[in-house]
Amino acid sequence: MLKRTAVHITVMMLVMAFAGIAHGQDKLQSYLSDAACKVKATADPVQKRAILSNSIENMEKALNKVQGSPLVSKDDKASIDRFKVFLNDKRDELEGVNGYEPVPDAKLNAFANYVVQDMEQASQTITISTVTLLLIIIILILLV
Amino acid sequence: MERAFSTFARQRSDHPFSRERQPYFLNALRAYSCLALCFLICSCGGPPPASRETVPGESSEFPSNYVVVFIIHGDAGYQFHDTEGNAYRADEEALAAAQRVAEQNSEAEVFIFHEKHRRHFLFLFPRHDGKFYYYRNGRLLARESYWRDHGQSRFDPELGLYNRFHREEEHEPMKFFLYFGHEIPEIDGKGYDASYRSRSFTINDLAYGLERLTCDSSAFDLVVLSTCFNGTPHTVSALAPYTRYIVASPSNLHLSYFDLRPFEALDIGLSDGDVYAFAEDFARQSFDRLIEDIQTEIAISVYDVDRVRKFLYSVNSVYDHALSTLKENASTLIEYCDCAEDSAYVRPAMSEGIDVLFRPARFGRSAHKQNHSGWECPKLPK
Repeated sequence: MLKRTAVHITVMMLVMAFAGIAHGQDKLQSYLSDAACKVKATADPVQKRAILSNSIENMEKALNKVQGSPLVSKDDKASIDRFKVFLNDKRDELEGVNGYEPVPDAKLNAFANYVVQDMEQASQTITISTVTLLLIIIILILLV
Repeated sequence: MERAFSTFARQRSDHPFSRERQPYFLNALRAYSCLALCFLICSCGGPPPASRETVPGESSEFPSNYVVVFIIHGDAGYQFHDTEGNAYRADEEALAAAQRVAEQNSEAEVFIFHEKHRRHFLFLFPRHDGKFYYYRNGRLLARESYWRDHGQSRFDPELGLYNRFHREEEHEPMKFFLYFGHEIPEIDGKGYDASYRSRSFTINDLAYGLERLTCDSSAFDLVVLSTCFNGTPHTVSALAPYTRYIVASPSNLHLSYFDLRPFEALDIGLSDGDVYAFAEDFARQSFDRLIEDIQTEIAISVYDVDRVRKFLYSVNSVYDHALSTLKENASTLIEYCDCAEDSAYVRPAMSEGIDVLFRPARFGRSAHKQNHSGWECPKLPK
């Protein structure tokens, strides 16, 4: 099973890299945008919070896993650190810790949009190489 | 012995290339090959386009009262999502909006340069990475592909095309320059283009481009920077010799960019010739559209270049010192703040000659910020 997964990941990476899918950042944005759509499609505020929290947590897990890899450069590690600070800040605000008031139930849809838009605007400052982005995306896919 | 044999047999069947597994791997290989072929076809999209395309239609003899130059940078991550989750390419959207402007203005000469990501045909042969559109009197008269890396300075290819097509008028037309892209760096500038990582692009390169565009004529009437964080003293100072007014954002600007609709009817918006009023109206309309859906901070400033000079002179040395300090610490990510929040930049003339439209972010640490000076400055290292 492990071998099969490893073969799948390797071939998937090769296919994606050779086919020029260099839009890793777009995929990360789409991941958060999909989460925001799920939040808006749900009426229950508890579920809304759970979707947002899980999405941020999964992304943090993927970043942690990739950051520990020897394939990742020093610059990418610094960028991943900035990205983690960004995500952590969003989670703090969602949960109302570290000086934040918790996001009210009625504003969870708007908050989901805010997370997506803030990430899209930060994309130019959080520059991660294509290979590292591919690794993050693959781990995210496996985590979901 | 039987047990040992069966173990061996099990091991053999577990091997990825065992006979039992072969159909699975062959199918997987076929599937991945098909997938790769599909991606290849999608990413290539056909042979390199012709460098020049003839467009039906003749140039009319109507004079042009307006000259509009658009530069749309599309060689980086420009995807954004609307609140419904639909994905858009910011540069493609800006191009469509610029083309609408070109088609709607019967008294304008419009140059559109779309700087695209460099792609390769069959992974080997580079394709043109710039696309140029020339409109006059609302009609498309030329459409050409070009290479962005030909020439000594950043805008050499664009300037070559501009000079080739631009028609001198007996009277001086009103001139507008609009740039769409990510924040134009004030220092370093490497990595701005995804296709040319080692190539540098800073606000000084843009200023040099504007200088050459205006070398034989008057300055631009209005420069619009549809970018993040270019509403700074350094940027306005660099562009000041080449324009009368500037519209820019001193904070993050969402990739849906400024609203170009006021530019679609220049003869109406500028019927009284008041460029500053037009710039204010343009900024207001963009602001009103952005606040509908955007949850992050929105700040748009209109700078009257002559009237902001006093502030620019007064803050010049401290700002340059901050930039050179940051340049020395190249690894430090430049962080910005409202100039009014750092006493080093606060001056009495700060609010002269500037109109600011501001709404704080709906969430985050700055959600309670009440107003913005309209100027953004780099945070001085502690």
